[in-house]
Amino acid sequence: MLDRRQFLKLGGATAFATLFGGCDKVQSRLIPFVIPPENYTLGEALWYASVCGQCPAGCGIVVRVSEGRAKKIEGNPLHPVNRGKLCARGQAALQALYHPERLSRPMKLSGARGSGAYAPVSWEEALSLLMGPLKKVKAEAPGSLLMLTEPMRGHAGLVAGRFMKTFGSKHRVSWDPFGPDAMLSANAAVYGVRDLPEHDLANARYLLSFSGDFLETGISPVHYAREYGRMRGDRETIRGKFVHFGPRLSMTAAAADLFIPCAPGTEGFVALGIAHVMVRDRLTIASSAAGRLLDDLGPYSPEEVEKKTGVHAHDIAAAAEEFSRNQPGLAIAGTGAATGPDGAFHCAAVALLNVLAGNVGTPGGVSFPNRAQAFAKYGTEAALLAPSPESGYAGMRTALEKIRGGAVRMAILSGATNPAFTLPPSLKFNEALSKVPFVVAFASFLDETTSLADLVLPVPTALEAWGDDLAPVGHAGAITLCQPVVGPLHDTRSMPDVLIAAAKELGGEPAKALPWGSFRECIENAYGGPGGEMEKALQRGGFFGESSSSRSAARTGNVAFPKAAERPIGGDPKAFPLALHLYPSITLYDGRGANLPWLQEMPDPISTAVWRNWVEVSPKTAAELGLAEGDGVTVTSPSGKITAHVAFNPGVAPDVAAMPLGQGHTRYGKYANGRGENPISLLPAGETYTLQATRVALAKTKLSTTLARTGHPEGQWKVKNMM
Amino acid sequence: MARRPFNAAIPLACLALTLFLSAGDAFAETVPQPIAFSHKIHVTDYKLNCRFCHSSTNKSQYANIPSVEKCMMCHRSIATDKPEVKKVARYWNEKKPIPWNKVIDVPNHVYFPHKKMVNAGISCLTCHPGMDQAGTAVQKLEFGMGMCMECHRKKKVTIDCWKCHY
Repeated sequence: MLDRRQFLKLGGATAFATLFGGCDKVQSRLIPFVIPPENYTLGEALWYASVCGQCPAGCGIVVRVSEGRAKKIEGNPLHPVNRGKLCARGQAALQALYHPERLSRPMKLSGARGSGAYAPVSWEEALSLLMGPLKKVKAEAPGSLLMLTEPMRGHAGLVAGRFMKTFGSKHRVSWDPFGPDAMLSANAAVYGVRDLPEHDLANARYLLSFSGDFLETGISPVHYAREYGRMRGDRETIRGKFVHFGPRLSMTAAAADLFIPCAPGTEGFVALGIAHVMVRDRLTIASSAAGRLLDDLGPYSPEEVEKKTGVHAHDIAAAAEEFSRNQPGLAIAGTGAATGPDGAFHCAAVALLNVLAGNVGTPGGVSFPNRAQAFAKYGTEAALLAPSPESGYAGMRTALEKIRGGAVRMAILSGATNPAFTLPPSLKFNEALSKVPFVVAFASFLDETTSLADLVLPVPTALEAWGDDLAPVGHAGAITLCQPVVGPLHDTRSMPDVLIAAAKELGGEPAKALPWGSFRECIENAYGGPGGEMEKALQRGGFFGESSSSRSAARTGNVAFPKAAERPIGGDPKAFPLALHLYPSITLYDGRGANLPWLQEMPDPISTAVWRNWVEVSPKTAAELGLAEGDGVTVTSPSGKITAHVAFNPGVAPDVAAMPLGQGHTRYGKYANGRGENPISLLPAGETYTLQATRVALAKTKLSTTLARTGHPEGQWKVKNMM
Repeated sequence: MARRPFNAAIPLACLALTLFLSAGDAFAETVPQPIAFSHKIHVTDYKLNCRFCHSSTNKSQYANIPSVEKCMMCHRSIATDKPEVKKVARYWNEKKPIPWNKVIDVPNHVYFPHKKMVNAGISCLTCHPGMDQAGTAVQKLEFGMGMCMECHRKKKVTIDCWKCHY
């Protein structure tokens, strides 16, 4: 038996051993580099400027590099798009760089196609595996080569475009699930310019947003978040007012002075209601346009619009009056409005407000900088470097038809947009791709799309690659340069590098069109090479300071009135009582961030949920359906069925179920797989890529998982009162 | 019967004191190294400046250990037949770093920037006396606060606590 005395003795001895055990002479090692990185000084950090590759916004970044390792990413203060700011997705690029599941070597299929079984091979073997079919296709049917990538900007686009042209194939498709197709058609109809607009938020006094989540996931969230901050607080006596219409209280909506919920797919009618009041009460500035629109706007009185949208007539009238009296004012249509079944109409209706307010080409209004001008020296090829930002959905559908018809013998895949995950399953992308005899994918990770390839070639991440870029908005004509901030961590080669090498081996026209030794050489040739202007530009992050001339909007005096197609959201309202509102996730974007734990563990700002997806309904709707917070439900649409947990959001419009995109991966590594199901599988395969395309029914079910949330749905009040 | 108390505290305390002092006294020992590098040959015989190899001393908080590439800059062609140089070449050929053992250490609660001293013109031998005559690195002085303070007072530079402890 251990008595008290013995216990104290033993305790004393243990404490002694613990205290003094560490006093042995521990010889720590000093391990120097075999070959130190360039410009390396022990203990001193270096900052390299480059471009963020986490989403298409094209923000400038600076990366702190110590001992040859990237440690922290910040926004580049000199960059016109983000001026020193950076979002969480950009910060998480470090995790992509050091990711344990990154592809470090070329891999060839070792099992059945689509099985995901691969065996590592050397680059020599991989290139011979690539060149064999490529040479055969070139000799026999060059038109049967398909290149399916995410939109490629800058010289990477030039290399890919020239390669395909000289190879003799026209099948080049760029896929971006959030490509602003509807906004482009609307801009063509209303402003006469088929391009992305710049919204000068900073100088606006009033902002009307229609399902525009521009602070989270729009075209350039960091740029607009900064501009929004300037609108609110940068002027001595003016604080711009912000009114948001939309089906869901998003983070952007929560930042507004006034959030007015409306039924999904009705944003355009609200805008026309506002236009009606402006014209009726002679509140417009551009009166020439107003006169012609008087008859067209007749049916959109606030009372009529209230019936369609659920927005009170007096709210519409008040918004119209305030908007007119506080000029310059801006109206912005966002992803929610643009991805509805009649997106082009909604965007056009919103654009009409800017025309009526006379805010086109003025400070605090909408303008259209000429993006292609930055690459004017390339003449007709400028469109390869600054491509139109369309989603490429039409091209994708055509390509899939051609594959099914046997017209594609080889496919080259690249990019993070992951069509096998982001396209509705009813489009049967996977099945079609399995019909292509040889598929090669350039990728950093295996995902649902790349795991369908015969050969996977590992590429460097944006932090290890050369390149250049022109951001879609906020660029001010500035070309950004992308340089490796660290040496390549793995045995990777960029897609342009492989294409240049392949062109050389093919000889003839492709070799002439891509004359460089490497992609780095291509970039250096384009920008004057090291030692010249490029050296300075690399240090600053790009060629900043030059301003681009704004293209005037030609047709604002003669606006075509947007016609509503009255396309209802699919599904029988009796069987499927709720309209499904899908929105891009602030953390995972289109799903590409789902394999990064930093992004998975970052709570959604509204639902505070992590590591899984959920379905947001208003507590009132949930009560009608007999659902409680956190309940498991099956979400059924005419096209598919998934399960999710219920998360209450009192700011969701009645009879709406809202779900974030990005979760539901099956082949994107251990951090992404098995976290909920993909809501895109609920969508029908329509003629346009519409996220607000279907109605759903919710039915309670038992799920083995729970929804992890960092906050109580009813806020601190509830927590305090429970305590 | 009253038990005779076993007083374990005294021998244990003695042992602790011995161990504690021997740990503190370790600075004078020679630390074994993977290669019998001679500071004397490089510094005294061939008159190489310390900063030729320890090149970050004027740019960084730390005095770096030279990379294997740095050694091979000369030893690709110089003294290639010497057994110790052959060892370096083996590390180079295998592309492996040389696992040197740490000799000189400053506790973590002290911020000691080499660059401040070197750029102020303090000779390396002030704090590392005898290094020019040594084989592998030796530490002949104990880096206590008194040593720092003495020199700082003599040179009339800051003796604020927060200059080194923050």
